[in-house]
Amino acid sequence: MKFFIDNLPIIFPYDRIYPEQYAYMCDLKRTLDATGHCVLEMPSGTGKTVSLLSLIVSYQQFHPTHRKLIYCSRTVPEIEKALTELKRLMEYRISCADTVEEKEKESNFMGLGLTSRKNLCIHPEVSKEKKGKVVDARCRDLTNAAVCEKGRQDPGSVDLCDWHENLGKLDPGSLIPAGIWTLADVLQYGRDNGTCPYFTVRRMMPFVDIIIYSFHYLLDPKVAEQVSKEMSKDAIVVFDEAHNIDNVCIESLSIDLTRPMLDSAARSVGKLGEKIEEIKQTDAAKLQDEYAKLVAGLQDATDDSVDEDAFMTNPLLPDDLLKEAIPGNIRKAEHFVAFLKRFVEYLKTRMRVLHVVAETPLSFLQHLKDITYIERRPLRFCAERLQSMVRTLELQRLDEYASLQKVASFATLVATYEKGFLLILEPFETDNATIPNPIFHFTCLDPSLAIKPVFERFSSVVITSGTISPLDMYPKMLQFTPVVQETYPMTLTRNAFLPLVITRGSDQVAISSRFEVRNDPAVVRNFGSILIEYSKIVPDGIVAFFPSYLYMESIVAAWNDMGILNEVWKNKLIFVETPDANETSIALENYRRACDNGRGAVLLSVARGKVSEGIDFDHNYGRAVLMFGVPYQYTESRILKARLEYLRDAYRIRESEFLGFDAMRNAAQCVGRVLRGKTDWGLMVFADKRFARADKRAKLPRWINQYITETASNLSTDMALTLSKLFMRTISQNPNENQTGISLWTLEDIEKAQAKQKELAIEAEQSREDEEEYGDGGIDDDMLVDFDLDV
Amino acid sequence: MPTTVCTAKASYKKTPGQLELTETHLQWFADGKKAPSVRVLYAEAASLFCSKEGAAQIRLKLGLVGDDTGHNFTFTSPQSVAYKERETFKKELTNIISRNRSVPNVTTPRPPLNTSISSTTPAISNAPTPRSVVPPSRASTSRAPSVSSDGRTPIVPGSDPTSDFRLRKQVLVSNPELGALHRDLVMSGQITEAEFWEGREHLLLAQTATESQKRGRPGQLVDPRPETVEGGEVKIVITPQLVHDIFEEYPVVAKAYNDNVPNKLSEAEFWKRYFQSKLFNAHRASIRSSAAQHVVKDDKIFDKYLEKDDDELEPRRQRDEGINLFVNLGATREDHGETGNEQDITMQAGRQRGALPLIRKFNEHSERLLNSALGDEPTAKRRRIDAGKEDAYSQIDLDDLHDPEASAGIILEMQDRQRYFEGQMASAASAEAAAGKNLDIRAILGETKVNLHDWETNLAQLKINKKSGDAALLSMTENVSARLEIKMKKNDIPPELFSQMTTCQTAANEFLRQFWLSMYPPAADHQVLAPATPAQKAAKAAKMIGYLGKTHEKVDALIRTAQVEAVDAAKVEIVRAVCFVYIITVNFNANLQAMKPILDAVDRALAFYRSRKPPK
Repeated sequence: MKFFIDNLPIIFPYDRIYPEQYAYMCDLKRTLDATGHCVLEMPSGTGKTVSLLSLIVSYQQFHPTHRKLIYCSRTVPEIEKALTELKRLMEYRISCADTVEEKEKESNFMGLGLTSRKNLCIHPEVSKEKKGKVVDARCRDLTNAAVCEKGRQDPGSVDLCDWHENLGKLDPGSLIPAGIWTLADVLQYGRDNGTCPYFTVRRMMPFVDIIIYSFHYLLDPKVAEQVSKEMSKDAIVVFDEAHNIDNVCIESLSIDLTRPMLDSAARSVGKLGEKIEEIKQTDAAKLQDEYAKLVAGLQDATDDSVDEDAFMTNPLLPDDLLKEAIPGNIRKAEHFVAFLKRFVEYLKTRMRVLHVVAETPLSFLQHLKDITYIERRPLRFCAERLQSMVRTLELQRLDEYASLQKVASFATLVATYEKGFLLILEPFETDNATIPNPIFHFTCLDPSLAIKPVFERFSSVVITSGTISPLDMYPKMLQFTPVVQETYPMTLTRNAFLPLVITRGSDQVAISSRFEVRNDPAVVRNFGSILIEYSKIVPDGIVAFFPSYLYMESIVAAWNDMGILNEVWKNKLIFVETPDANETSIALENYRRACDNGRGAVLLSVARGKVSEGIDFDHNYGRAVLMFGVPYQYTESRILKARLEYLRDAYRIRESEFLGFDAMRNAAQCVGRVLRGKTDWGLMVFADKRFARADKRAKLPRWINQYITETASNLSTDMALTLSKLFMRTISQNPNENQTGISLWTLEDIEKAQAKQKELAIEAEQSREDEEEYGDGGIDDDMLVDFDLDV
Repeated sequence: MPTTVCTAKASYKKTPGQLELTETHLQWFADGKKAPSVRVLYAEAASLFCSKEGAAQIRLKLGLVGDDTGHNFTFTSPQSVAYKERETFKKELTNIISRNRSVPNVTTPRPPLNTSISSTTPAISNAPTPRSVVPPSRASTSRAPSVSSDGRTPIVPGSDPTSDFRLRKQVLVSNPELGALHRDLVMSGQITEAEFWEGREHLLLAQTATESQKRGRPGQLVDPRPETVEGGEVKIVITPQLVHDIFEEYPVVAKAYNDNVPNKLSEAEFWKRYFQSKLFNAHRASIRSSAAQHVVKDDKIFDKYLEKDDDELEPRRQRDEGINLFVNLGATREDHGETGNEQDITMQAGRQRGALPLIRKFNEHSERLLNSALGDEPTAKRRRIDAGKEDAYSQIDLDDLHDPEASAGIILEMQDRQRYFEGQMASAASAEAAAGKNLDIRAILGETKVNLHDWETNLAQLKINKKSGDAALLSMTENVSARLEIKMKKNDIPPELFSQMTTCQTAANEFLRQFWLSMYPPAADHQVLAPATPAQKAAKAAKMIGYLGKTHEKVDALIRTAQVEAVDAAKVEIVRAVCFVYIITVNFNANLQAMKPILDAVDRALAFYRSRKPPK
């Protein structure tokens, strides 16, 4: 359908629209017009992505300025889904176009998705590698500028990648025809035409209208510098599924160092030294050349800007740093190697300590200086200097240098930030372990640090998800001021989902995943009987989430021994999330087959685990979600403790408040995966005593919370089952009443709503005028009408 | 004549005879007879049970597909010989049964067919009346794809009287109300069997569908639990079924069996050692097995087959299948380099080492079950097949946002459409003209004005008669109380009478159904066994009308009984006689009321019949 918001023509690829989609689009448009940031929460499964894309594409096509859209999502399945959604939208737009020119304009619209080499490689040998890092390294060996030059001058002297070479023969800017290409499409196109999909996307990025990739490509400074530097400032940035965005921010600036890593780094330093000696003998001019460049300053060293084969980049590049020259004491290659060696040795000594140490970057630097005389300034340039050296030496198989790269990034980060970071040395893995396995955590505590450049650079940043309640938490944590901040309730003509809080088993024993009671046999049995009973009454798929891997693994074993799983086997197949991602994917695929087939299955997985992000369990894939316990984080973790302390001191967010918020957003995320569309239905079972507390429930998104009735908030298993059966009986009836006009809008409904809004606006205008007329500060008529008299 | 695999002396139903296993059948001859009295196709064999070793009688029981009772044979040769014979049969049959299970797609053509060819069952060829066979397509289209996957043709009710009879019986047994009706009407001879089932074919079809639905394999894990008997010994009962399941679940055991059994170990020895071996404990894959570790003995033979526990983070068996991007979790992990601190210990997957083999076992077991039902083509091929019906778009589609009315309706085709509309227009125009002529607004207005003149005074003069108002109120109150009473007493119908009433009503309903069925032409898509000729129909209608005509009498009789009973009751309790006299009338009324609709329906049917009769 086609309609107007103000004067912007919107093309929406369906005949109907949900009222919340309409409201969402209006607010989005307001944000874009105001060129500000916004936080929007829209119920899961009400077509958030399609409304977002539909509005933004309409906006892009209508305005001549042509702002680019950078759309970030969490996982590859979500990226692929967004691309598919976009592809369908564009097909619809083309079919709707009236004139030939319009059609032409729509068909020239271009959208691509970017992911790693590992996911996009079609080279028969390289793509077989298991590890992404190895794929990256081998790909670089076949495609970097120096090798290519050599190979082209003297064919056959070095191995080159044919797919990459074929790409070089094409015009830059037309490596792939215009249109929308999903990841699968790009791969297929590459196979058909003998071109490299990865570099196709990378090189087409300046020419596309929409680019879709994961959060890291924009937030992680190490990656963002390579990938997203070219993006113009007026681009629209969207973070979809942004409920965990603060964690991504923190992750992208945190580094762990272990003893094996340091050993490997030391070996790499040794190798570098040998290589330098070798080069000195054969090609001393090269080193001289590099030295001269470094004297001139970093700016010149990196001016061949589109540099796809960059091994690593500075994790943060403030502009002033770029203009500075590299300090003299690490300009010479052998000096730098010695410098690295000393630094790695120092870290190794620190690892020998057998008690926990927590210190700020400043105290770390002071200690470092006292012992090794390493200054802060050269440390800051560590990553940059290493990059320059790697390029000069033309090293192969860079994956072997990964540890050294980590150490260099660590050096740069620790020397750059004074606040918002903490160094924690944990000599033992657990409290009762006796064999030391030291880990040096360099942990970022402040999520706003990583996202700050994004807010500063781009004028419109949209943060959206199905579950980002409470909304004001995000601006507080990420330090920005939104112009629009909105959450939408879910309009339903009948309750399509039933949230239930089970607080005790049929034997009235309270159930909880609290640490003290979670392994109590009575609790384990009661959790088990919930699973058994639901596997009896729910058709097709059931998804169960546990608060942690540790708990899931121990409870699965316990259930098996108690014979609980045997009861479940009678009704449904059982699939369990495993540590291995591929194995889990296969299990997931089989789970879906079992649901399609009618046999039905139970999937056991972990909240905040691999499955809980990015996989949808709509329709028959998830008729019930069981949430066993509240998915709190492990509060004994030192990193978490440090972070909580920081949040309290810097932003006045109380520990308990943050923990509760974090647990509930994850619970809501798991539970929200069952719905897509308003005819879909599902049960949401929260099985923990603590979910009954009002302060916990208040942190759930409004659209879930509004459907938890007072009776359903404190149930025993048998009562919950009765309610569930009743619900399923009612929901399975054919909905007789027409949803149109209430939870579904046609074009007329939109126009009606717009007319009403206009009227209201005019009225508001008039009343303002009226006020001005009287100006006596008395009670006006409208207020009198609205006043609720107690009669 | 097919070659015989093995033979043995065995009795069946206490008759001595000869049991024979040929290449296609298992058959049994009574002594001195040429033709086999029991003949079982290989494909029909479903399960096998044996008597215990050392039991007084050596027996073999063969369960059939769709018939668990099966056949019981007792081996009659001397004990030792009989035992050997039984073992040979057992071995052969176990193989056959496992073959039957492993190839679910190639099952019997018509398994529920009665397999014992006794002289009492009528042969299929001389079915009493030739009936038109309805193609089974209708039955199968409405079924879920999972059901039709077995590839068997469902039995069409009516095509075969024996199975038909059995089906009918099953339907009647499972539906007691229908059974009661059947007893009342058919067994008393009021209507014939065929008439009764006419219009109820769907019940039979549903029954056939349920029967032909292949039962999936039960989901439980193969986990033989040892029972502890006195003296601390452990006992595990091994059935051929269990053996088969173990072999299927753990191919390594099958391999060990093949390698060792006839030569190095006897069968009993094999199982004894297996259940004590580490291999068995590994297969149980449970945390508790570690507790039982001390019971486990080292075993030279079985320890060879022991594999390392599959408890690494990555599975031992890497599977390199292309995975749909919509569920590919590995792609996400490889989407960007590792960042951040490592997860805290509770969130590191796979720390509970002991649980990993168990979890893997669950996933594999589920997959195996699924493959046994769906066939296990490689994933890529499966996806190509599925791609046609569910493409990527369907996974992101919000189906309720499509306009349901957008589908093109069926266009009404009309003869002489133009003339029809023109005619309409013409008549409408003339009607309008006529109306316009007659309508004189001014006159109407004037009339109204006159009528309304002086309304205020009229209203003021209005007086309401008090008496009539009171009367109205009184009558209303009475009405309400009377109704309340009836409501309260309604359920006081004696149970016996009540059941009689129900019977009467259902019977009348059935007659009505039959009557209308014979009156109206059968619906186009309705499945009918044998379209009745008009003459038959007329005869039937006449018969039904006869029955229906008696309905009034029956109802009258019922009412009379009701009165008598009420009077009887009243006699017993003289004290409350007055009260009961009241009930009589109420009951009477209630009866009449309850039976009223059916009587109306009957009257209508009678009237219809009468009015229709002359033109015939």
